[in-house]
Amino acid sequence: MTNHCTDEELTLYYYGEGRRRHTIEQHLESCPACAATYREIAGTLAMVATPEPPERGDQYGLEIWQRIRHQLPERASGFSRFSGFWRFSGFSGFERFSGFDRFSGFGLAAAAAVLMIAAFAGGRAWQRSTTPVLTTATNAANPEHPVNRENAANRGNPANRENPANRENPANREHPEHPENPENPENRTNRILLTSVADHLDRSGRVLSDIMNAPRGDISAEQRWANDLIDASRLYRQDAVDAGEDSVASVLDELERNLIEVVHSPSRISAADLDQIRRRIDAASLLFKVRVMSDELRKREDAPDRSAPRSSTSTRVTS
Amino acid sequence: MDATEAAAVLDRARQGDSDAFRALVEQHSRSVFRLAFRMTGNEQDAEDVVQESFLRAYRQLGRFESRANFGTWLYRIVSNCSVDLMRSKQARHDQVRGDSLDEGAMELPAADVPGPERMAQSAEIETRVQRALRELSPLERAAFTLRHYEGRSIDEISATLGLGTSAAKHSVFRAVKKLRLALAPLRSQES
Repeated sequence: MTNHCTDEELTLYYYGEGRRRHTIEQHLESCPACAATYREIAGTLAMVATPEPPERGDQYGLEIWQRIRHQLPERASGFSRFSGFWRFSGFSGFERFSGFDRFSGFGLAAAAAVLMIAAFAGGRAWQRSTTPVLTTATNAANPEHPVNRENAANRGNPANRENPANRENPANREHPEHPENPENPENRTNRILLTSVADHLDRSGRVLSDIMNAPRGDISAEQRWANDLIDASRLYRQDAVDAGEDSVASVLDELERNLIEVVHSPSRISAADLDQIRRRIDAASLLFKVRVMSDELRKREDAPDRSAPRSSTSTRVTS
Repeated sequence: MDATEAAAVLDRARQGDSDAFRALVEQHSRSVFRLAFRMTGNEQDAEDVVQESFLRAYRQLGRFESRANFGTWLYRIVSNCSVDLMRSKQARHDQVRGDSLDEGAMELPAADVPGPERMAQSAEIETRVQRALRELSPLERAAFTLRHYEGRSIDEISATLGLGTSAAKHSVFRAVKKLRLALAPLRSQES
């Protein structure tokens, strides 16, 4: 190599890049000018030490999530607009139905078409079944006589929709609206409500746990999480009251009061004040109750009869 | 989280499952913060970049190809968010700063660093380095951070910042040149 190295070549060489590394190395051994320039570049870059970022704890990811989750753009769901409950159920999993909105117009049109066809077909069937009865039924032995149990119009006939054995009778357990049918939309709603409340309790449990373990000083991060949870807690409590879930409502009520206390404490909290909050959480066994309740709700969610234990003792967590 | 589980979580996140996205946030937040801090050199800015990066990632998840590495993809978003933030800060800074105002000089600490001479010298080096880094353009700073702190090759820098190889290379060169000029007085003190 006869020419001197450029600054760019020497910079790349310093960083272990560049194509003529071996040639540059040999040149630096024989060229004092280039060697001096290289020493200057290397010396300068050696001064730029890698900065050590401030440490972030294990809960940092959760903290970030709490900060951003309300800002996430809506990716779901026609359902969420109609209920305060869904608004706060960020973890409900309903977001995955992201196609709902997109296809709702098509869906409504299709539903209307199906209804029209059903009405037309139903009208035809009704005409066929009633006309002969009116004209030919003269006695009870006649299967077409309304008194005859074999007549579809007779309530004793299982084919009759008013017969309890008929699947289309709401009293039948296989009817989609029967309370014991898992496919009952209300049961599905309950199931999702259970999941969401359990998720909410888990998140609250983490905040409480953080408060219990926080060093004295700045608890502003915990306060932000707690603040995020209060509104949801209130809504879930109202839902629980409406659904007759007294023990769930009671835990949520206690949780809400403690979260409010955390939020209203000064961010830079003294050791004494922090101890007071902890003692109150401890005295109420709140963390324990929250965890037990969350477990119970998850068990109920997995149970075959999901709607059942509204007044069950299994979810009762006593003070 | 093993590779299969990670892929499943990512897949669910791409389908709009916010629980899965939360898992990704929790998994990557600390590394995102580290990169953002190195890029911006400022804790508060780094926090802003972390949040904005995840929001941007959430919005763009649909475009993420499942074959790609999520960490690399996110790394790119963080780098670009950092550049955007530095650019907007610089624009505000340029607007506020009068021609005669030398902010760097104002930010220089008084030469009353306590302790032995060595500590004072290293503090001065640190201060001057930080000031020199602040004087880099956002792109120069990002390219330099990726090369110098993160050990990325020019090709990787080019892919991360969406630049041509030549532009990436020259961003690094310009940054090094500016640093050499800014830190020359210290070099001469040392020699």
